[in-house]
Amino acid sequence: MASSSDSPEKLGGDDFSHPPTRSPFLSAISPLTSLYGRIAEWRKSLDLPNPGTPENLQKEVKMTHLTNFMFDGARADLSKNLSINPAFQISHSFNLGSQVAAPSYNFGAVYATNSTLLQGSVDHESNVNARMNQGWSETCITKMQAQLSQQVGHSMLQLEQDYQGQDYSLNVKAVNPSPIDLTGIYIGSYFQSVTKNLALGFETMYQRQTPELAELATSYLAKYTGTNKNWIATAQLQPAGILQTTYWQKLSDKVEVAADLQVVAGSQRRDAIATLGAKYDLRMATFRAQLDSTGKVSALLEQRFAPTFAFLVSGEIDHFKNAAKVGVGVMIESSNLTPEEMGMAPPQP
Amino acid sequence: MPSEETRERILKVVELGRTVMHYGWIPMIIYMGYTRSSPQPMFIKLISPLA
Repeated sequence: MASSSDSPEKLGGDDFSHPPTRSPFLSAISPLTSLYGRIAEWRKSLDLPNPGTPENLQKEVKMTHLTNFMFDGARADLSKNLSINPAFQISHSFNLGSQVAAPSYNFGAVYATNSTLLQGSVDHESNVNARMNQGWSETCITKMQAQLSQQVGHSMLQLEQDYQGQDYSLNVKAVNPSPIDLTGIYIGSYFQSVTKNLALGFETMYQRQTPELAELATSYLAKYTGTNKNWIATAQLQPAGILQTTYWQKLSDKVEVAADLQVVAGSQRRDAIATLGAKYDLRMATFRAQLDSTGKVSALLEQRFAPTFAFLVSGEIDHFKNAAKVGVGVMIESSNLTPEEMGMAPPQP
Repeated sequence: MPSEETRERILKVVELGRTVMHYGWIPMIIYMGYTRSSPQPMFIKLISPLA
């Protein structure tokens, strides 16, 4: 190969060819580049899927369980879609009568194009949440997240760079990095598909509170996806002896179940919590039910009466503490677009 | 390690950036959405929950 590339250079004249020092260098490293090329080709031939990000390791379980959806008291969410492309949405949400949180009002705005997402929300105490995602290509995304508060010490800034390769995901985060003495929290993670089903990875956190005091902690991740992608099992081992395992299965188009077991086996504390949940997606409603080993039984019904109007009822009974929570909510979407523009079928006569 | 003066200057810039972002982030999103969405919405719809 070296001889064939040499002859056209000689024909073309030395003035226009590469510097003569470069081709010996290239030929010197050519075993390495060809080895890299062969490994890349072999890796491509394995046809491993992208494992997803470590952040989304338990995404399916979190979407099935209602821990993130639970609320109590009364709430109303009014959202307005003002434009579809670019997407522009404004929302007002009101919360009232909760046992754990004070009444609150929250205003949110989202602006999104194909590559950029800008999101912001502000509550009545003027705490601002800001989020920005900028996609440079299909696989490379820079993210910024910030919490800004009037109170000292409540502000937070997180910068994140995400790269998704063909069969791996790479992510680097910096939380509250200080330009003066580089204190802050730095997190790096790598997640690699090992076979078509199994993915293994790790996440390392480097915590630097003062220039003298730094701490390194690594957690290990594993994810096993069923061949038909209808079930997923994950495990995450964190330092200090925290093990979190989850299992998620899609039983049919409408029913998903998920289980979560968290074991804390540290030197001071030994504890375990198991959670079992199910989600039913019906034509106009979503129903979630959950039972956990701390004696809590909870359920959430999200009933859509019209495409733009939904009604929510939630309830939780804590049998061990003899406590209960009830919540009702409405979600109203308004839009100045016609139903055709929103991609919906015209109403039946 | 930067000098004391540089540190103070950096802290001041960070604090200023934080304040600008605190008050400017939401107005910036609304401005970008308002000017670039099609069709352009009425301004009252942007801020009033009832409109």
